[in-house]
Amino acid sequence: MKKNIPLAIVIIGGFIWVLWAFVPHKILSEDFINKFYLPWIYVQAPFGVILGVMSLVMMHTAKIQRKAPKWQYSFFTLGGLLITCIAGFGWGTQNGTPMLWMFTNMQMPMSSTMFALLAFYIASAAYKAFRARSPEATVLLIAALVVMLAQVPLGLKISRHLPDISQWILDVPNNAAKRGILLGIGLGSVATSLKILLGIERSYLGGGE
Amino acid sequence: MNFFERLQALDRRWIYIVVALAIIIPLMVPYNSDVVTTPPTENLYQLIDSYSDRPDRAILISFYHDAATMPELYPMEIAILRHCFERKIKVFTMTFIAAGAPIIDYAINTVKEEYPEIQSGVDYCNFGYKIMPMITALGMGDNIATAIDTDAEGRKLANLPIMQGIVNYNEMNLIIETSGSVAGGTWITYARSKFGANVAVGVTAVMAADEYPFLQSGQLIGMLTGLKGAAEYEKLVDVFAAYRDDYFPKGRPFSKEILRDKSINKLINITTQTQAVFSPQEYQSFLSKYPEQKAILDKIKTDQDGKVAFDVTKISAQAQKDLGDKVWNALNKKTYNILYKFKTARIGMNAQSIAHIMIFAFILIGNIGYFVTRAKDKKAAGR
Repeated sequence: MKKNIPLAIVIIGGFIWVLWAFVPHKILSEDFINKFYLPWIYVQAPFGVILGVMSLVMMHTAKIQRKAPKWQYSFFTLGGLLITCIAGFGWGTQNGTPMLWMFTNMQMPMSSTMFALLAFYIASAAYKAFRARSPEATVLLIAALVVMLAQVPLGLKISRHLPDISQWILDVPNNAAKRGILLGIGLGSVATSLKILLGIERSYLGGGE
Repeated sequence: MNFFERLQALDRRWIYIVVALAIIIPLMVPYNSDVVTTPPTENLYQLIDSYSDRPDRAILISFYHDAATMPELYPMEIAILRHCFERKIKVFTMTFIAAGAPIIDYAINTVKEEYPEIQSGVDYCNFGYKIMPMITALGMGDNIATAIDTDAEGRKLANLPIMQGIVNYNEMNLIIETSGSVAGGTWITYARSKFGANVAVGVTAVMAADEYPFLQSGQLIGMLTGLKGAAEYEKLVDVFAAYRDDYFPKGRPFSKEILRDKSINKLINITTQTQAVFSPQEYQSFLSKYPEQKAILDKIKTDQDGKVAFDVTKISAQAQKDLGDKVWNALNKKTYNILYKFKTARIGMNAQSIAHIMIFAFILIGNIGYFVTRAKDKKAAGR
């Protein structure tokens, strides 16, 4: 019973979505989505938030109590959660509110700084590791240099053909590889979905089966 | 240790210093440079522009990113919003991640400062943070007002003036998703395949390669690629949407010929412009619009190679007051000076240019050092 009921819910629910995708009937395309599925999804979402906040608080409280490695940082996490909650619930998120002030003056520069560090790592990696050690690595190196230079206005001044060559690299070899990967992912997803729908794949139910 | 061995063992902190300088200096000292627009950007621009002044058409911008990727994606959003406000195109905004909500407010407020006549709920509407992308995308295919229900300010969507003539994807026919990771997936799968909506994306440069299959297959009608895509869009807005003259009082339509014309160079300068220069005919036409200010204008004008010129930084406060806001704004418009917020991507592209050349040089030097050292090692082993 513990296994059969969840299995039946998954199989029936899954087949409803398969029917929805292939049968353009009003009952499925409008009534099912708007009157049944949508309200349930909206009810479910707040519980997800509650669960997330509880999990975060419990994890970091335990970390502080146990004095786990770098436990001091947990105070920042919990403090950040508390302050943003107060700012958001107290004054909203519109222009001129503490929330937007914190976003503009704290979150934005800090996040951008973290992302900007990529430039330094890329430059360092380019210098230290990007070597033409083999024919394949040489092809990769040349392709990378062409695409990189074609991206910037200075590249056009080096050669007016650079953008065309770069576009060819992106349109032909890049797309061929990407399509292969995408088709593989697609076929894999279909196969796994069918196994779940037909009850062959049951590992999501737990229990080690 | 010889020179090439030293090159191989160069401390990475030297590399960091060079990269930092290569980025900081062009940002602090902007110079005029041109970006060549590409078809994916032009296609997106043209489709948005075709909705100009149409009450039965709207676009949706989905801000699917947080603050980390703002340097690349935010200028795109600003440029698209500016285009919509310049050309009176109805625009909706939303996000599926909570961290995206303040970015929407920030972007709208930044652009709106220059367009005081633009009103929330009339010209644009922010749906705010919504959950469950798939369900929302599907719901909007049936009825936007039902699927979204209330906007970010808590107003019932069905009661807003902007919704007049807008029901579902038949009217809100273009969705642009800006994202730092995979973009457009939800919209391609549900809004495009089931309802035929047009989808475009704005992505960080590192993610662009992932989107090319969708662009080539036509599932994406356009794409803005990293800072370059944003810079291209900024340029198109300056050259076409924000352009004003007697023939085109509301901006001019897109044209490849105009983009190739050298005369647009004065419209896309990113350095500060202070001179408003008129040909004698243009000046007469300008005076005919403001005959009451003729005496003041004649008094402050200067001659520049047979043309009439005004340096707006040298006009006194009293003269500005006498000219009045309307004439003063018209003079400033004639300088073709672009506000900083509308040229950030192009200034960033200057820094990116230098950084790319720098990385190119690093790779080259690194490889020279590698081959020389390898040849030396082989020679030593052969002895």
